[in-house]
Amino acid sequence: MKTSPRLLVGSLLVAGALVALSGCATNVNSVERAQPVATPNYISDKRVVTDNTLARTVRVNSVNQDTVSGNLLKVQATLENLKNNPRTVRYKFEWVSDTGMSIGSPNESWKTITILGRETTTISTVAVNPRAVDFVLKLSE
Amino acid sequence: MTTLRFKTALLAGVLAPVAFVFSGCQSAQVRNVDASGPQALNTAGINSQDWSNAADQLINSLLTSGALDRAPSQPAVLAIDRVLNNTQLNVDTDLLIKKIRVALTQTGKVAITNTMGLGERAVVASEAAELDEMTTGKKAKVIAPHFTLYAKLIQQVDRLNGVTQNTYTFQMSLINVKTGLTVWEEDREIAKQSKKSAVGW
Repeated sequence: MKTSPRLLVGSLLVAGALVALSGCATNVNSVERAQPVATPNYISDKRVVTDNTLARTVRVNSVNQDTVSGNLLKVQATLENLKNNPRTVRYKFEWVSDTGMSIGSPNESWKTITILGRETTTISTVAVNPRAVDFVLKLSE
Repeated sequence: MTTLRFKTALLAGVLAPVAFVFSGCQSAQVRNVDASGPQALNTAGINSQDWSNAADQLINSLLTSGALDRAPSQPAVLAIDRVLNNTQLNVDTDLLIKKIRVALTQTGKVAITNTMGLGERAVVASEAAELDEMTTGKKAKVIAPHFTLYAKLIQQVDRLNGVTQNTYTFQMSLINVKTGLTVWEEDREIAKQSKKSAVGW
């Protein structure tokens, strides 16, 4: 009733393959309209990368803005997880007035989002202060 | 005699760093952190980050809906209705409501009345109004609210394989007082999983 080395190696390989495959199971497949009807107001952005690991893990694909309730700025960023495993990132929107002053806001806090493998998702917020004209999106691991 | 002194010195040399390390462990370490920042303690309950997150999502939804813009006059007058806490947590619901009040007031689109509703009551303002009535003989003018805000916190606990999941649901409704109709509603959830250590008590 001795276990042969071949059987043992085979079992280990199968187990390894199962672990590897289960790791891929968190990836997200998606389907969307080939010619989107929506016309987002994309803005050009400036990026400052100080954490290269994070930049290689989660990418900001685009940022678009809108105005809600007449004069309140709404900003939405599209994030993509470039890895096969779920990643949790923290983010925070900060608001800046037309005179360049930072506007403290009650909803200006760090939030956490978990993005599944290869998933693309959006984060958004509304500036509660009508004086907000610019924003800074901060991302941290 | 010299050997004894050397041994004593050696012992002292060894014990001093050990004592220093242990005294270091006992000293109180206090640091200031951002209440809603990454260093905030994450517990199975609703922490400061969760309150901020829930308030932010509810505010975003309310402002994006444009419901407040449909008030007969601007700014829309809002009264805070009941905030039910159906969780096992003994928390002050103002941790949520105050954040929403502050944000809505900052927009300039909402004026929150404090003379009615179940939220904060401006006692001194009411007394001042009564005093003004007595002095001038004129009835103080009270502005009726256009909307009332009602909220409810719910907790659901699920356990499986030693993992406990607390799902906190934040429900909020905006009601038009003239019609009694709900003009905006939102329901947001925050789920937190915690696992008890296999060793320990």
